[in-house]
Amino acid sequence: MGLELFFRKPKNELEKGGRGRPRNAEMEYELTVACPACGYETPQSALIENLHVCRCGHCFRMSARERLMYLTDRGTFTELWGDMESEDILGFPGYPDKLESMRITSREKEAVICGTARIGGCACALFIMEPYFMMGSMGTVVGEKITRLFEYATERELPVLGVTVSGGARMQEGTLSLMQMAKTSGAVKRHSDRGLLYIVLLTDPTTGGVTASFAMQGDIILAEPGATVCFTGARIIEQTVRKKLPPNFQKAETMLQHGFIDMIVPRAEQWRVISKLLMMHRRKEAQG
Amino acid sequence: MFSKILVANRGEVAIRIIRACKEMGISTVAVHSTADRESLHVALADESVCIGGPLPSESYLDAGRIISAALITKAEAIHPGYGFLAENARFAALCKKHGIEFIGPGADVIALMGDKDLARRAMKKAGVPVIPGTGVLGSADEAKKAAEELGYPVVIKARGGGGGKGIRVVSSPDAMEQAFHTASREAQEAFGDGAVYLEKRIYPARHVEVQILADETGNTVSLFERECSIQKNNQKLVEETPSPAVSPRLRAKLIDAAVRAARAAGYLNAGTVEFLLDKDGNFYFMEMNTRLQVEHGVTEQVTGMDIVKWQIRIAAGVPLDVKQKDIRLDGHSIECRINAGGVGKVSFLHVPGGPRVRFDSALWTGCAVPPFYDALLGKLIVHAATREEAIRKMQAALCELVIDGVPNNIDDQIAILSDPRFKKGDYDTSFFA
Repeated sequence: MGLELFFRKPKNELEKGGRGRPRNAEMEYELTVACPACGYETPQSALIENLHVCRCGHCFRMSARERLMYLTDRGTFTELWGDMESEDILGFPGYPDKLESMRITSREKEAVICGTARIGGCACALFIMEPYFMMGSMGTVVGEKITRLFEYATERELPVLGVTVSGGARMQEGTLSLMQMAKTSGAVKRHSDRGLLYIVLLTDPTTGGVTASFAMQGDIILAEPGATVCFTGARIIEQTVRKKLPPNFQKAETMLQHGFIDMIVPRAEQWRVISKLLMMHRRKEAQG
Repeated sequence: MFSKILVANRGEVAIRIIRACKEMGISTVAVHSTADRESLHVALADESVCIGGPLPSESYLDAGRIISAALITKAEAIHPGYGFLAENARFAALCKKHGIEFIGPGADVIALMGDKDLARRAMKKAGVPVIPGTGVLGSADEAKKAAEELGYPVVIKARGGGGGKGIRVVSSPDAMEQAFHTASREAQEAFGDGAVYLEKRIYPARHVEVQILADETGNTVSLFERECSIQKNNQKLVEETPSPAVSPRLRAKLIDAAVRAARAAGYLNAGTVEFLLDKDGNFYFMEMNTRLQVEHGVTEQVTGMDIVKWQIRIAAGVPLDVKQKDIRLDGHSIECRINAGGVGKVSFLHVPGGPRVRFDSALWTGCAVPPFYDALLGKLIVHAATREEAIRKMQAALCELVIDGVPNNIDDQIAILSDPRFKKGDYDTSFFA
């Protein structure tokens, strides 16, 4: 419309008197992020420095690329199948727009990134799911990329590290999404049959079809503190059984108590723990 | 003086603030939702930032986005206008934290006045008459006992209250139990605080408020009263100053009480102390609004003081250039709020003119009125030597105002102005009862 083009700008001089910028404005100010667990407001830069962990230990969500930065040795990551993109196979209403907006906001083409890298000097194949792309939901492309990664690792006898965060199967792709559960599980099995190591790190939230397939098939299952790990969400269960669920229901800590996971690892410890595990499981031929 | 101000509002009040800034040589930053992309306030500002979707919660109520916009554009101060974040203590504190001046009182004063129970107690201590009532009540039985002492009818009010939520009128002991619980539940849902207290019901009464300006040097002055008794569903429709019910003697008492209230709260910048005035001339403190009022225009007309400019100057540390004795009340001013009765697009707009006729509005021919916000389309304000002349001027101006394409209340306003009770100045909050 260009309504502003109709108006002229007055050239009044700035009124005199009083202060300009408030007295304490010389300091560097920046945005703070409030912790949903304890309410403490951490400056954004401090939060990034602290790997998006509040001083109370609450882990904020983290993008896949940010995880790459602290989990892998600098400059060793090579991305695989980075150009694969989902299509609206079923003609699901609004899906193409959703995909487009997710690509723009997350700057990723899909909800998982795959590749090879070194962690503490040990070569491995890895996949990291992206929470900012449709909450890491698993459609055909996510399933295909993860399957290909396991096949690639099996062929080259590489261990696999997987970092999961997912709302489950992608409903916009219907049964095709559900099929990925079987497909990825098959690839994990063949990788395992070759005696190769698969470490999985569950982060908040890992749910639905992802939990029901490759997320829980690791040889060693690690989790982030406070991560929700479940198949069906707590609200649905509560509505179905009409009972109040116990505190910490579906939390990583409860899962650890019941033997579903092996270890809870705070973010700052993850690189050290994973590199140690990879080192201990290094195959003889790969060591030379 | 600030060289750049961000206006954290929309509609006519955003324009009112931008106009003041233009006169003062201050650059302006408008923020807007996606629904307000083609708004007049965006077009008039020097810069604009889109801060989110059409719902207020996605844009004008999102403190983080507004602070971000101010930091990006390097605005030195934020004017919150009225509504939205204007009385949000957390937002005021957030501005300070980020080195941005909040144009209004400090966060602690906003928080004090937002807690109706604390505010009542502070006013009582300062010797300002408050409506007879209780502190926070623990149970319906306690409320019953207190109501017997006060005498029915009573009103149950929420401590965290505002906007008519958590308020119940109780006329007999039988109704107390249920009213207590519903009011408490409603308050819990609306404000996250179920605490309620009792007040004697003063009805019918007049709603009279006093405009205050206070600077850093401790100079607190009053710009006299405004009469706001013409209300429908707790929404003011017509305001005037001076109030036809206030004699010079009563005015002196009101001013004294309002200034005392502001001083007791350690008030800085512009604010309004609301009183209920009963038929015997007794008045009681109701609440203090820690922001610019919609109806500030009538006060500007009769005192010749630009309240918005003074808000900005006080925030920048400029002392007031007047003492109470220098402020004169000149003539009579009336404001009619022109509200939308639905959404639409303005196909033809004619704004009345002539001496001492003012129309504060964000309308332009071709603009759309979106459904997401307040219904206020504009404020028609007139000023004349006498009340009678002001009513005549308003009648003429209303008849000349045309807003085609959007359902509005111009005809209702003409009816109010023609009502014999209004003409005589003999009306109170039961006007529409």
